[in-house]
Amino acid sequence: MKKIITLLIILIFTSSSCEKDDICDANTSTTPRLVIDFYNITNPTVKKNVTNLKVIGEGMTDGIIFNSGSEESKYLTSGNTISIPLRTDADSVKYSFILNSGNPNPTLIDTDELTFNYTRNDVYVSRACGFKTLFTFESTNTFVHTAFPVTKEKWMKDISIQKNNIDNENETHIKIYF
Amino acid sequence: MPLFLAQAQDTISKKNSIERKKIVGETPLSPKQVSKPTATVAKTDTIVPVKKDRYGVRVGADLYKLTRGLYDKNYKGIELVGDYRLTKNYYAAAELGSENKTTEDDRLNTTTKGTYIKVGFDYNAYKNWLDMENIISIGLRGGFSTFNQELNSYKIYNSSPYWGEIPWKPSGEKFGGLTAGWIEVVAGIKVKVYNNIFVGFSLRMNTLLFDKKPSENFENLYIPGFNRTYAGKFGAGFNYTVTYFVPLYKKTVKPEKNK
Repeated sequence: MKKIITLLIILIFTSSSCEKDDICDANTSTTPRLVIDFYNITNPTVKKNVTNLKVIGEGMTDGIIFNSGSEESKYLTSGNTISIPLRTDADSVKYSFILNSGNPNPTLIDTDELTFNYTRNDVYVSRACGFKTLFTFESTNTFVHTAFPVTKEKWMKDISIQKNNIDNENETHIKIYF
Repeated sequence: MPLFLAQAQDTISKKNSIERKKIVGETPLSPKQVSKPTATVAKTDTIVPVKKDRYGVRVGADLYKLTRGLYDKNYKGIELVGDYRLTKNYYAAAELGSENKTTEDDRLNTTTKGTYIKVGFDYNAYKNWLDMENIISIGLRGGFSTFNQELNSYKIYNSSPYWGEIPWKPSGEKFGGLTAGWIEVVAGIKVKVYNNIFVGFSLRMNTLLFDKKPSENFENLYIPGFNRTYAGKFGAGFNYTVTYFVPLYKKTVKPEKNK
């Protein structure tokens, strides 16, 4: 009988050690990124591809990784939609949008800067995922758009806020026309 | 020798018939009794084992919860256990406890405080020899807990950590007035180790029936008595008890008829 008790105790202690078994499922909706679509300014209903766009956060050296390419090319995108993370520890974020990045002809490289202002709300997800941050754009002064250097013409002609609440990545939050 | 005894018995007066029968029963070789010895033997055997079961209350505590506080700084708890023998095999059983547990998950740090009560029965499936009083039981409990949770700190899950890993955020938000009820299946064993002292062990599988969740933005991650919630509604537990049996009365065990 003592053997049975010992066996049961061992069984319990070994089975209770697997408490940390659940991991956050990749399909769970967690902190959303900002989804930006690019449109043609001359034909506003048609999406337009950017060419070798690189997006770098203020104070960062590396750009946002857009694809699984080699060294420099993973930072570049030539599609018509991008998703960029907002800061979960600050109420604003500033990005440089560099067109024709890495082009041997420096006159073609065109940089615009965008600062987004928002409020944050931390929402409980689950034991495994913890919390996520949802964002709401400030109703006034939603974004600040500047050229870099300021003297040059901006390559983004128009910026339109589509959604004020950034709750998920299944919708377009901002349309940029160029 | 038996023959002599039988003869000697015959000479004694017939004032004690039982005594006489016994001795007669032990001497089947006696030529006078050969006619029907088996019937006599059966009759005498039923009288010999007078077995009495003790009925009473058993009270004690869960040693695991008491000692865990000594080595686990995130845990303080106590559980009192008791049972009362209703019939030969059924025992009314209850547990009463209080817990204060801090849980450190990968992205959440929470403290749960509360009390609980479990009431139900145990069925003893073990047939004891002679006057042994050991128990191997299966039972059911209904459990109920009132508790509160405090979110100490948390982490934001960010699948694209471009801005680097964000440290833990302190919260301190409290969620009070929480309740939960559940059903527990108990497999247990109790062994009498000395006089009226029993050592017991039980395993429990819990299913949540209802719980009052925090009004918003959180859930019940740990429920006192129920333990950690798995997949929202399942739990498991065990205890390691030392109990003292207080005998109240005795009941004669009815002899079991052989076929």
